[in-house]
Amino acid sequence: MSRLLVVDDEANIRLLYAEELKDEGYEVVTAASSAEAAEKLQGNVFDLAVLDIKLKNESGIELLQKLVKERHDMPVILCSAFSCYKDDFSAWLADGYVVKSGDLTELKQEIARVLAKKAQKAKS
Amino acid sequence: MDQECCWNRDVIEQADCSKINEGEEELLASKLQRVTEKCRECDVFIANLGRLRDDANPLAPILSDVLNENRRQKIQIQSLVSFLDNKTLEMRFVHELGSVLQSSVDLDEVLSVALTAITAGKGFGMNRAFLLLTDREANVLHGYLGIGPRNIEEASQVWNEIIQNDMDLQTLAQNFRLNKLSSERAKFHDVLEQLTVPLSNKNHILIKALDGKRPIMVEGAFQHPDVPAELARLLGVDTFLLMPLISRNRRVGMIIADNCITHRAITEEDMHSLETFGFPVAFAIERASLYDKLQVELNRVTEAGKKLKEQQELIVRMENMALVGRITSSIAHSVRNPLMIIGGFARSMLKNSPVSDPKRTFIESIVAETRQLEVVLDEILNYSDSLYPTRDFWDVNQLVEAVLRDTADILTSLGYATGYSSEPDLPPVFIDFKQLSYCLRTVLQNDINGLGTDRSIEISSQSVEDCVILKIEDHSRHISQAELDHLLVPFSETRDLGAGLGLALCKTMLEKQGIPFVALADEHAGIKYTITLPTRKEEQP
Repeated sequence: MSRLLVVDDEANIRLLYAEELKDEGYEVVTAASSAEAAEKLQGNVFDLAVLDIKLKNESGIELLQKLVKERHDMPVILCSAFSCYKDDFSAWLADGYVVKSGDLTELKQEIARVLAKKAQKAKS
Repeated sequence: MDQECCWNRDVIEQADCSKINEGEEELLASKLQRVTEKCRECDVFIANLGRLRDDANPLAPILSDVLNENRRQKIQIQSLVSFLDNKTLEMRFVHELGSVLQSSVDLDEVLSVALTAITAGKGFGMNRAFLLLTDREANVLHGYLGIGPRNIEEASQVWNEIIQNDMDLQTLAQNFRLNKLSSERAKFHDVLEQLTVPLSNKNHILIKALDGKRPIMVEGAFQHPDVPAELARLLGVDTFLLMPLISRNRRVGMIIADNCITHRAITEEDMHSLETFGFPVAFAIERASLYDKLQVELNRVTEAGKKLKEQQELIVRMENMALVGRITSSIAHSVRNPLMIIGGFARSMLKNSPVSDPKRTFIESIVAETRQLEVVLDEILNYSDSLYPTRDFWDVNQLVEAVLRDTADILTSLGYATGYSSEPDLPPVFIDFKQLSYCLRTVLQNDINGLGTDRSIEISSQSVEDCVILKIEDHSRHISQAELDHLLVPFSETRDLGAGLGLALCKTMLEKQGIPFVALADEHAGIKYTITLPTRKEEQP
């Protein structure tokens, strides 16, 4: 079972993600901030992280940069209310980008795609 | 004593006196004037006077002395009149010069007038003159302009031209400025280049004259102890005049004048006249130089003002952008997150509710409406984002290939085939990459519900003059031109929100960047889009 870390400052969104992604067969751990995410990452291994770009007073992009540097083997998908970041250079570090929607199909497809790519990479 | 002449008659006839010429008829009726002016020259009168002396008349020597004195005074008066006439001419010349110099703030014009005045026959009539100017920044006195012939042949040619044309000083100066200023500068370039003396070289005769603020007449230059040998050799004359140009106690420059062709002696009189002339020239040169500097500063200030205005406009635009950005951000978070939560949980509930559940219809309505609201929100946010494009030079192939990569999955899943052909060596285009990417994605995905059987999209790019033309030919969507035009008007019908704003938004975005966007519909062949991308950075529209 793949372990996912979901970072979003909205409690209801964390809940929605957790419910929907568990239904998809993932183990989901959630965090409301960068600090909590760092805490959850401490001593734990995650197969993928889903990050919100705007985290209250923090930037998900900064957290993305930190994760890419420290956990380069863990792919990251950005999930944001902003479509404009999709073409932004700062977001290009992420392995995937999904605009937030009540329909989580795209997010689920993206998670599956990125995990499959990671698995293929590990094999080769 | 017999009177053989007419001198004692009050009135005489023209035939009586051979000394009275035409135009002097008033002497015929004026005995006193006739005697003082004409009779002294008359042989008959002199003979009469001699007879008076022979008769030992005591008045004879006195009369002779009186007449001699009268003659001497007459000559003196004539000399003074001649002197006054010369001075009047000189005054008129200086006045004319002063008027021209006072009215000009153009340095080249002032210099043309000054040097023409020194060398023109109607002016001071010197053969040649060099003007040197002080450069306070470089702390040197340097040669700036020369005027005059370099040899006798050139001299006779130039002086003949001047005599034939009979021009006044101002016309001469204008003529010089228009036709000869640059050629004279080039002609004396070699001399002017060597006429550079540091202001700190106090022993140099040029600096001595400048510091002394008095003209110096140099005679015997080749043996002169104060004249450097190279200066004498450079000028090639034994006698020349150094006239410092001083304005309000400031050293403006120096005029070196000589008679290198005629070798006419330079008199004290010439020197004093030139000295008088030097003051207005120095003042005019200084004023013109200051005006030049003022003009440069004015241009700089105008440029700075223009830049400041541009900066202010930029700041206002950036503030607007920041405001739009903040509003967008606020909308994105305030609306999208709740929509997502409502829609997400509704879907979750729908997924987990049995088909027979009577409330399922309600939940389906929530899902559909939130989805519709999400699409509307996307379009509004994209529309806001389109208001302030950020343009730079980009590679067209990179743009098209990136968009084709992004849309490949969805287009392939729907059975679309895409092809891209590009002309080699396309120039970079000046665009907002993000917005163009959005537009291309929208155009490519616009036909996912197309009803045509030919599901192919062909893209091509080619360079034409200052543009790269991007063509997208979609053979799948078959609508009329009127329907297509309707789709290109943003928010034309609110009921279409969420269904038809994509193309309209593309058009708005591209127009904001000054990029023509043409969409032509053919009910049988499909839609042909043409986007003309600029390859040059133009002013903001």
